[in-house]
Amino acid sequence: MIKTIDMHKSFGSLHVLKGVSEHIRLHEVVSVIGPSGSGKSTFLRCLNLLEIPTSGQIFFENEDISKINVDAHRQRVGMVFQQFNVFPHMTVKENITLAPVLVKKMAKEAADELAESLLKRVGLLDKIDEHPKRLSGGQKQRLAIVRALAMEPKVMLFDEPTSALDPEMVGEVLSVIKDLAGSGMTTVIVTHEMGFCKEVSNRVLFMDDGVIAESGPPEQIFGNPLNKRTQEFLSKVLY
Amino acid sequence: MINNILNLVSNYGVKFLQGAGYTLMFSAITVFFGVIFGSLICMVKRSRFIVLRFIAGVYIEVIRGTPILLQMFFFYFFLPLMTKNTLNLSKTVSIVIALIVNSAAYVSEIVRSGIQAVDYGQTEAARSLGLNRRQTMMRVILPQAVRNILPTLGNEFIMVIKETALGSTFYIGELMTVRAELQAALFLAIEPLVIVAAIYLVLTFSLSKGVAFIERRMAQGD
Repeated sequence: MIKTIDMHKSFGSLHVLKGVSEHIRLHEVVSVIGPSGSGKSTFLRCLNLLEIPTSGQIFFENEDISKINVDAHRQRVGMVFQQFNVFPHMTVKENITLAPVLVKKMAKEAADELAESLLKRVGLLDKIDEHPKRLSGGQKQRLAIVRALAMEPKVMLFDEPTSALDPEMVGEVLSVIKDLAGSGMTTVIVTHEMGFCKEVSNRVLFMDDGVIAESGPPEQIFGNPLNKRTQEFLSKVLY
Repeated sequence: MINNILNLVSNYGVKFLQGAGYTLMFSAITVFFGVIFGSLICMVKRSRFIVLRFIAGVYIEVIRGTPILLQMFFFYFFLPLMTKNTLNLSKTVSIVIALIVNSAAYVSEIVRSGIQAVDYGQTEAARSLGLNRRQTMMRVILPQAVRNILPTLGNEFIMVIKETALGSTFYIGELMTVRAELQAALFLAIEPLVIVAAIYLVLTFSLSKGVAFIERRMAQGD
């Protein structure tokens, strides 16, 4: 579904991605782990062109995305950020309906209904007319997830979705992501939650120094990592 | 002296009020057009085209780097010359245009910093949803930037009220012009100054209270 070919990304003299070739398949749930600075987030952000790769190609459903409209591409790729980035000046409902109404020209009533059913799904229906200021971190992140889902994306990208949360709120967000992954949504998630990663992923990518050092099912990566760097990393984070 | 002040107020109160009216009017006109042109200049300054950015940058630097009195003189002499006096612009119009040109430069920086103060994550989130640059600016960034901008604009209003005083150099009829006229007519230096100062204080103080009120409201409605 998404295929990258020898993707490189530099910020000035800093060479962050050093040739990433990867194929994310339909309905696959892929976790990206690795030490900080290894290029995980940059890899993810390249997939919806928040970062433009310095070189290399990205294909989405066999279509080279450098040849299509950026906004059109982003409509089918949902993105969830570490810092939530919900819109503070809008109500919960408006956060969700903004893009469908504005970009997809969905009728307002239909968008409202969609918002209600999405909020019901993540247990936030009673907050529909609140401003995000009144939400907890976990609730904000759940809102951010359904805001992305309202565009009916074909892929969901999560960039460390629980890293900015208080520990007691991590669970509620992870369970939403898990449900989503279980429903067949193609998902790429950058995470430090190793337990979660083991549980939901079909495949784990270990990134190190700008390349994918190892890739495989979670049982292999966590149980019997082949790469020396993967072993070192996991021995540090699994204690 | 107290007697003199009371006499002045009772005999020339209308003159002072007139002056205050002009001061307020010139300030309001300046801020109104200053905001419009300032926002436009800000857009040019944020443009994708380096030439446009450069022009806006030069404008802002020149205006902020030279005295406003100099700019008033410039427009006072330059505008009639440039229009070959066909528009028959009064000196008052020239001075108000100078005030607007000056204020626009400051407003554009106020707007720019207001926009920049909005977390970049907001732009990324909006663009990730498929909103284009324009939609992102109009629906996500500007509504939040306004909260940063409004209180600062109130302060700019206060600055402009004080800057109109420089217009008295050209006798445009605002408060300091009234003061100068009374001094010349009555040979009283201190008393008119005291009265005019009191009026300026009333204007600026009530405005700054208004700004503080708006600031509190903005902080609540986050």
